[in-house]
Amino acid sequence: MKRSYVGVAVLAFILFLNIIFTQYMVHQFFYENYVNTLIFCGLNIVLFPIALFAYKKMKNVKA
Amino acid sequence: MPSDKNNKIPFNEDNYTHNIERDNERKLDRRGFMKTLAGAAGVFAVSSLPWGAVAAKELMGLGEKEYPHKKITDVSKLAVGDSLEFKFPGEHDDAIIIRLNENKYVAYQNACTHLRCPVFWVKEQNQMVCPCHHGFFDAETGAPTAGPPRRPLPEIQVKVDNGAIYAVRVKRYEA
Ligand code: FES
Repeated sequence: MKRSYVGVAVLAFILFLNIIFTQYMVHQFFYENYVNTLIFCGLNIVLFPIALFAYKKMKNVKA
Repeated sequence: MPSDKNNKIPFNEDNYTHNIERDNERKLDRRGFMKTLAGAAGVFAVSSLPWGAVAAKELMGLGEKEYPHKKITDVSKLAVGDSLEFKFPGEHDDAIIIRLNENKYVAYQNACTHLRCPVFWVKEQNQMVCPCHHGFFDAETGAPTAGPPRRPLPEIQVKVDNGAIYAVRVKRYEA
């Protein structure tokens, strides 16, 4: 039983983006660039469905 | 029972679970790990919401408050190129007004956006200076031009009425 770790890599990358966007969002908030805050907030939110989709797609993938 | 497996390490066996005996040993297997990652993305998404909500609120101007108009001084008492310190909107909110030319007044809350030292107007250099760590601000816009401060000074809207200058409201900075 071999597994594919592509899914893990994809999800780890999504988590990486999450961290970056959150960092930007918080910083832009305190710099009072509220439009940028909203953009990164939106990006963070769309990452969630993408992560769910990636999980659903990859959970049964075998190499 | 003698076995030839003992002489071949690792012996050929397509079974990766032979060493699992306890319950929950495989809790964080590949799929469980992916589930955790997806869940983490959900946590990030949900925790982004308040930031977005507050940012949207600020953008829609709900955070902008109108304060009772307050007289700063008389036009005749403030010469062109001079500045004056006053308090607005509260008794402890230091502010500064600068008369840039005959009809142009600018006012800012003058607590430095670095560490809140009072910023003052230097006529000769035509800019606002923070003495604490040599922060400089553009008098026209309140934007920082040099030194540690990175955010502009909050601008105060002023109104001239009947030879007197009034502070009206504190403006939100627009990028
Ligand atoms: S407090 Fe103004 S530069 Fe540091």
